[in-house]
Amino acid sequence: MVRRSLRTQITTRVVALSVAASLLLGTALVVLIVAVTGQRDAARTAFRSQQALSLANQLEKSLLSIESGLNRYVATEQASFLIAVRRELAAYPSRTQQLSRLVSNEPGQQRRTRAIGESITDYDDLWASVLIDVARDDFGKARSQVQTNGGRARLDAIRRQFSRLFQRERAVIRARERSAEQRSARAIGLGAGGLGLLIVIAIGFTLYLRRSLLAPVRTVADATGRLATGDLSTRVPDERADELGELARGFNSMADALERGRDQLERANAELTRSNAELEQFASVTSHDLQAPLTTISMYAELLERRRGSRGPSDQDLELVDGIRDATQQARGLIRDLLEYSRAGRGRLDLEQVPAGRIIEQALEALAGAIQNSGAEVTVSGELPVVLADRANLSRVFQNLVGNATKFCGDQAPRVRIEAERDHDDWRFSVRDNGIGLDSEHAERIFEPFQRLHGEEDYPGTGIGLAVCERIVVQHGGRIWVSSSPGAGSTFHFTLPVVPSSTAVPPRVPERV
Amino acid sequence: MLRLHFRGRWATALAVLTVAFTAGGCDAGGADDDAATIGRPPPSNGPQIRIGAKNFTEQRILGELYSRALRAKGFDVVLKLDIGSSEIIHRALARGSLDMYPEYIGVLLSEVAEVRRRPRSTTAAYEVAKAYEKKHGFTLLAQTPFSDSNALGVKPQFAARHRLRTIGDLAKLKRVVRIGALAEFATRYEGLVGLREVYDLRGLKVVSVASEGRYRALAQGDVDVASVFTTEGQLAGDDHVVLADPQGLFASGHVAPIVSAKLLAAHGPSLQEAIDAVTQALTTAAMRQMNASVDLAGRRPADVAAAFLRARGLV
Repeated sequence: MVRRSLRTQITTRVVALSVAASLLLGTALVVLIVAVTGQRDAARTAFRSQQALSLANQLEKSLLSIESGLNRYVATEQASFLIAVRRELAAYPSRTQQLSRLVSNEPGQQRRTRAIGESITDYDDLWASVLIDVARDDFGKARSQVQTNGGRARLDAIRRQFSRLFQRERAVIRARERSAEQRSARAIGLGAGGLGLLIVIAIGFTLYLRRSLLAPVRTVADATGRLATGDLSTRVPDERADELGELARGFNSMADALERGRDQLERANAELTRSNAELEQFASVTSHDLQAPLTTISMYAELLERRRGSRGPSDQDLELVDGIRDATQQARGLIRDLLEYSRAGRGRLDLEQVPAGRIIEQALEALAGAIQNSGAEVTVSGELPVVLADRANLSRVFQNLVGNATKFCGDQAPRVRIEAERDHDDWRFSVRDNGIGLDSEHAERIFEPFQRLHGEEDYPGTGIGLAVCERIVVQHGGRIWVSSSPGAGSTFHFTLPVVPSSTAVPPRVPERV
Repeated sequence: MLRLHFRGRWATALAVLTVAFTAGGCDAGGADDDAATIGRPPPSNGPQIRIGAKNFTEQRILGELYSRALRAKGFDVVLKLDIGSSEIIHRALARGSLDMYPEYIGVLLSEVAEVRRRPRSTTAAYEVAKAYEKKHGFTLLAQTPFSDSNALGVKPQFAARHRLRTIGDLAKLKRVVRIGALAEFATRYEGLVGLREVYDLRGLKVVSVASEGRYRALAQGDVDVASVFTTEGQLAGDDHVVLADPQGLFASGHVAPIVSAKLLAAHGPSLQEAIDAVTQALTTAAMRQMNASVDLAGRRPADVAAAFLRARGLV
């Protein structure tokens, strides 16, 4: 449980901050909307109140015109004046209702408007209509009633009511406008404050991210870089209890695992090197030590042959001696080749820039006897490059390849062709022959030491030559392979890296030997 | 702990903000000082009673007396004050704008019923008036003990100088006599018309003044004679002389409420009983005293009426 809550700590903070910011923004928006609505309502109320004022003015004027129409009617006794009076009297109830809708929705104002409506009704019921009735009967009486100023007094009272209504309405409008302004000012202040707070939160959040999240992440990233460049002892602080602490702990255990793996590898490697060296040593010592008894055996075989004259061994004895000498010879060859194989690809290379043609020349000289015996025709064609190589080793490679070509030749006279061509960053040398060839399934096997495809009696040799070639080529940074099919000859290829500033040197070997 | 601290901080900040915004959103709505409700007894089941009163002191007091007494009994009453003279207020009653108002019998006869012949007694006058109202769908309830008739008042010095005792003596003045009166006086029988007809006075000029201005006009010499009402407080002392009316031009000054018969029927006898109880309490002394309280002491008719009703146990 504790672990779970620790895990979600950063998430909780981020969510809490986001929610806080959203709430803040939302509240600021709501306050602003309320303020805007308030302003709009105030404007509407003001507009309505203006309408109310103008309607009230109309009503007042209408009352005055009723009164003056009445007076004229009574004074002139002309019924025509009554028409307008009656029209106005019929219109005021709807006007007072309209007025009550327009004045601000405040109890006092509504009450005042109602009172005005009642006063106007009274003016009609208790004065204007009554006076008209009186006048119909007796204009004289009506005139004397007009003189009592009963209507005028009522009108004055109504006008006072109107003026109180106006005063209060204006005050209400002013108060509402003021309140709306105050509210909007406050809202703007609060909105700005909220936004400011939001900015502060955002900045704080950024700083928090930098300090609490980015810095640890960067530490891990730097450590990863160091790890990648091989410093496996790199570790990061992992005391934090949150997700980043978990990341750091994960990194550290990964580095631990890597370091352990590397140590194991190094130990295994050292072990391998040591056992290899021991093996080499063993092979070298053994080969060398085997030479001595072989020499002794062959010497005794010689002595045995020489003593033929005095006591004379039989012909059968001589046959035995021959057998001993042959076997000894064979064992010596094996030991020599074993030694050579064990030395090949070991030790320091004596590298120099040397024209490949020169080395081939050297190799062919060494093979001159064999070439001559077999009647082989060796051709070197095309441009041969200058390569960076150990002269003796590379010569050995050519000797072995050309020697094989002259050896596995079948019935016809061997023809060998040596070429070199550029293949990207390598020089590819090929030694092509017209010999017996081999099955492609053996193409890999022939480069293993002491692997032979044929019997000793068919083709003499220990089967070490190609293994030696491979070791030397690989040590020079190249590779070696064969393409062949039975009866169609073989082509041995090997590569050597191009020497950056090397220039091709024309072969100085003779075209034919 | 760190986490709690973190949360606590933000919770506080949010709370502060919320409070601030809420406070900002609140509207300081102005309290309405005009709103006022007047406690009243539960209204009776019957229709509303619209009581009218004319535009002078005694009528205002009477209007208040009847309204308050009826309200106290649970009737739904609305009082319309300052309606014009009888010519106007009776028309308003007749056309249904009012349900009831207190009227002077003499004025009712002469100005509304247009009875020119002077009745022999107040009782006779009352009976004629009652019959008239009944014919028009109204009931004339019991009349008041007090009588407030029309009269002509002069300053004592003026009376002495011209040796005036009766209205007819005004003929001795060989010049235009200015009478300060309400405007309707000029067209009334119990006014200029009757003065000319009954007393054969010529050379009278009505100066139209408001009710409140009559005694002042007389005192300032703007008028020679004032149209007065006999219960007026100003007449209580020796400041004025009321001219005798031997011909009986100014008939009964007793007051009786005229009530819509339909309304009386709708409310049953309780309404009439309540009205009669007030009427019977209104003696000349009481009325004069109340008039004086308003006209001379400057009290409000409503207060005077309320005090009277309380004293008589009518509310």
